[in-house]
Amino acid sequence: MISLTINGQTVEAPENYTVLQAAEKLGITIPTLCYHKNLSPFGGCRLCVVEVQGARLPMTSCVLPVSPGLVVQTESPAVIQYRRAILRILLTNYYDAGYKRTNGKFDLDEDNELMHWARVYEVDSRKFMAKKPRFPIDSDPNPFVWVDMNKCIQCTRCVRACAEVQGRFVWSQSYRGYKARIVAGADTTMLQARCESCGACVAYCPTGALDNKMSVGAGRADRLIRTTCTYCGVGCQLVLNVKDDVPGGRVIRVTSNTDESVASVNGLHLCVKGRYGYEFIHSSQRVTRPRVREYLLDGTPRPKERGRWVEVDWDTALNAAAQGLLRARNQHGGQAIGVLASGKNTNEENYLLNKLARQALGTNHIDCCSHIYHAPLTEGLNEALGIPAMSNSFDDIASRANSLLVIGSNLTEQHPVFGAHIRQAVLRRKIKMIVANPDFTNIAEYAALPLYHRPNTETALINGLMHIILERGWEDQTCIAKHPNGFAEFRAVVAKYTPQKVAKITGLSVEDLYQVAEILATNRPTAVLWSVGLADPSTGRGNVQSLANLQLLLGNLDVPGGGVNPLGGQNNIQGACDMGCLPELLPGYRRVADEAARAQFERAWGTTIPAETGLPAAQMLSAAGQGRIKALYLYGEDILNTSTLGAQLRRDLQACEFVVLQEILPSEATRYADVLLPGVGFAEKSGTYTSAERRIQMIHQAIEPIGEARPDWRIIADVARRILTGEGRSIRETDYSAWDYETPEQIFHEIAALTPIYAGVSYERLERGERLQWPVDTAEHPGTPLLHCGYFSEGQARWTPVEQKPLDIESSKPQELTLV
Amino acid sequence: MSLEVSENQLDAIIRAAIEKHGDQRDALIPILGEINQALGYIPGEALGKIRRCINTPEEGLFLADSHLYSIASFYHMYSLKPVGRHIVRYCESAPCHVVGGRQVIQRLHDFLGLAPGETSADGRWTLFQTSCLGICSVGPVIVVDDDIYGHVTPQRVSFILAKYR
Repeated sequence: MISLTINGQTVEAPENYTVLQAAEKLGITIPTLCYHKNLSPFGGCRLCVVEVQGARLPMTSCVLPVSPGLVVQTESPAVIQYRRAILRILLTNYYDAGYKRTNGKFDLDEDNELMHWARVYEVDSRKFMAKKPRFPIDSDPNPFVWVDMNKCIQCTRCVRACAEVQGRFVWSQSYRGYKARIVAGADTTMLQARCESCGACVAYCPTGALDNKMSVGAGRADRLIRTTCTYCGVGCQLVLNVKDDVPGGRVIRVTSNTDESVASVNGLHLCVKGRYGYEFIHSSQRVTRPRVREYLLDGTPRPKERGRWVEVDWDTALNAAAQGLLRARNQHGGQAIGVLASGKNTNEENYLLNKLARQALGTNHIDCCSHIYHAPLTEGLNEALGIPAMSNSFDDIASRANSLLVIGSNLTEQHPVFGAHIRQAVLRRKIKMIVANPDFTNIAEYAALPLYHRPNTETALINGLMHIILERGWEDQTCIAKHPNGFAEFRAVVAKYTPQKVAKITGLSVEDLYQVAEILATNRPTAVLWSVGLADPSTGRGNVQSLANLQLLLGNLDVPGGGVNPLGGQNNIQGACDMGCLPELLPGYRRVADEAARAQFERAWGTTIPAETGLPAAQMLSAAGQGRIKALYLYGEDILNTSTLGAQLRRDLQACEFVVLQEILPSEATRYADVLLPGVGFAEKSGTYTSAERRIQMIHQAIEPIGEARPDWRIIADVARRILTGEGRSIRETDYSAWDYETPEQIFHEIAALTPIYAGVSYERLERGERLQWPVDTAEHPGTPLLHCGYFSEGQARWTPVEQKPLDIESSKPQELTLV
Repeated sequence: MSLEVSENQLDAIIRAAIEKHGDQRDALIPILGEINQALGYIPGEALGKIRRCINTPEEGLFLADSHLYSIASFYHMYSLKPVGRHIVRYCESAPCHVVGGRQVIQRLHDFLGLAPGETSADGRWTLFQTSCLGICSVGPVIVVDDDIYGHVTPQRVSFILAKYR
């Protein structure tokens, strides 16, 4: 520690501190523009100058290392005079055309950091700023980033943000002297310079030279609501900027979360989806009133094409939904009804859907897209290692892994913020990354060795690598001794996968296979990451079991920077599985087939749960097509547009007798629905999501529901109550049999009470900003960033011999697919 | 007026420059210098070609077009545009300015009919304004191609330039 004096106060600071950081420790604010604590120091704007005893000139504190006995003044008259001069000089190159709406009218941008410091140091910005523009305003065609170089003061925060946060290197400071300016690429447009429109440069710009194009004139927000992003499994924190100029408010922009008391995976970083993909909230296409088909109101038989929609009040719609479901139950039994949840719903909603299915309706036919995309990625894992999720955490992998195997994942597009972390890990820590994917993906640019294997040959590839590892004696004997189950059988299978044979199957070279095996074996710990690229229905489970074998073999489990890490596609697919939106599992990964687990929920819910496992989504829908499932409740899943089985599913839905659809925007499934219940988007409700790293996070309601739409948890509860009070349906009154929730928090209490891995999680702890990754056993438990293998299997892992399946040429053919 | 350069020629120049100076980030200035020397300017395509030779993100070295453009646009000794047969550079810095540099500059502009950065229609001249040329003791200074002239007066300008065809 080094002792120095700032403004008469003595402070002890670590050796690598700057004077600026030491001052911050004392609570002294030194004004800065080019400095940002997340970026490397630049020392360019000179606003942070301080007076140092014995120094001839003021010194820039952001790049001045602390030294023993330093005596510093941060607000002496000389310093203030100097700062005023600096602000005047900066302003001479700053021209504001007055397109910001600050106080209800278009005027100068008063909200940026330069204007803030000009006000603080009483520099008249109108007087000193440039009198005419030097550059065109809005000079770049990027759809999201507004560029106005007239407001640029060359602080280079954008250059550093693009390099050090996003890792795209779009911006540079070019030319010199008066002509110096920020340039994209070789003086091209941002997109030509490989911009990914993440908006990091906007988030870090202190003058508004870079701004959010969609909301540049939208004015100041009246309220700022922190919430969790609704796109992918990374679970970024972001801030919805709400303006109350319409009833209920509207979201005018999304900004980074700056509240550091809240644990977050992303800091100020967001991706293009999270930062700019919010227009759907106020889409004119939103369903804002409940609808039922006319035949339901008339009490006539259902016409073939279901007939005309009629907009109705909520009571009518909810009664119609409940009656239709109840009729199916009374005539054909609960198992004639299917419920489809979604990885986009909150935990509270998915828990209620699970309760709706298993308690109110009495069916285990509940699933989400998990069984199509996610379950193959996690089920094999649960069977082999007893963990149905990422074993390690995003930050742990980015900061501690020494090598990575990324397989079946387009990392920078599917999980962009984590992808950017990985780029930085390669650039800064020089870790070795293997990227295996049949096609080029952006992250392969950073790969020590990109592997382009034939589709669906992953099992052979991984077996081949393990064959080499065993041949060279690179296996981890301790791990094998600890988990001997099935090793002999596994070894016998892997022995057959000689490098030559694997090269023939995969289309890779023998040399590459040896090189990959060596990289993984000599750069431990290795973290294995995968995503839906491995989720082929026929090979997914085997692929994942092979990866579990690989990590057992290399001893990369239960260690920081290693592990098995399935990256869920949807933001809450992990939560949907945790909440039991799966045909064979109850909340908390307890099997329907397990009598004790069932008994617990039967006691809690006051009813019996069928012992027979339900049907996964695809089979549920085809059962509907064949008439075995009579009624469906679909919520949040655009099943027709996200499945490769579109044509068949249309026929199945068409054939189904009664379909309740709960949605925010009309999807193609609307055509096949009998009742349409308008739910709300993530900005209009509260609840929790669970990210891929098992982290439970809050979403906060920012605006009132649009039109007559209602929070989805309320809709599900309203339907369930009507079913339970309906004809022929009775349940015992128990602790959790009722549906009288008034807030999502009450639902969460119930989840925590019935789901051991969530037992210690509460809204109160989440609101305090705690980082809670399940299992969280008690209210004092700190959560589990590193999940040890065997959590759900009494500490035991199992080797699973997996054979490469013969290649099915049919399944490799292009399929009809709409990207949504 | 510009040196027409084929794809192959450019590749050969870049290859030779990288062989000579290495493929690391610290070699970028001399590599760009070799190209500028050979062609009189740095063609836009050269930046992408250099990037592809040096960019090795998997080893922690990320080189983007923006890095190359930043360097190429910063130094006055590089041009990003094709230039004339002869390049005239004059110093705009204070030491030359106070000993009559301003009059020399005016005479150069008038004589060549060019503003700084422009090339004459016949492709004979390109005029560049630069920062200090490092020989202030003999200011005002101009440099034509690789020849340095000190103590330049407005009257001498036409005599000096007459040597260059």
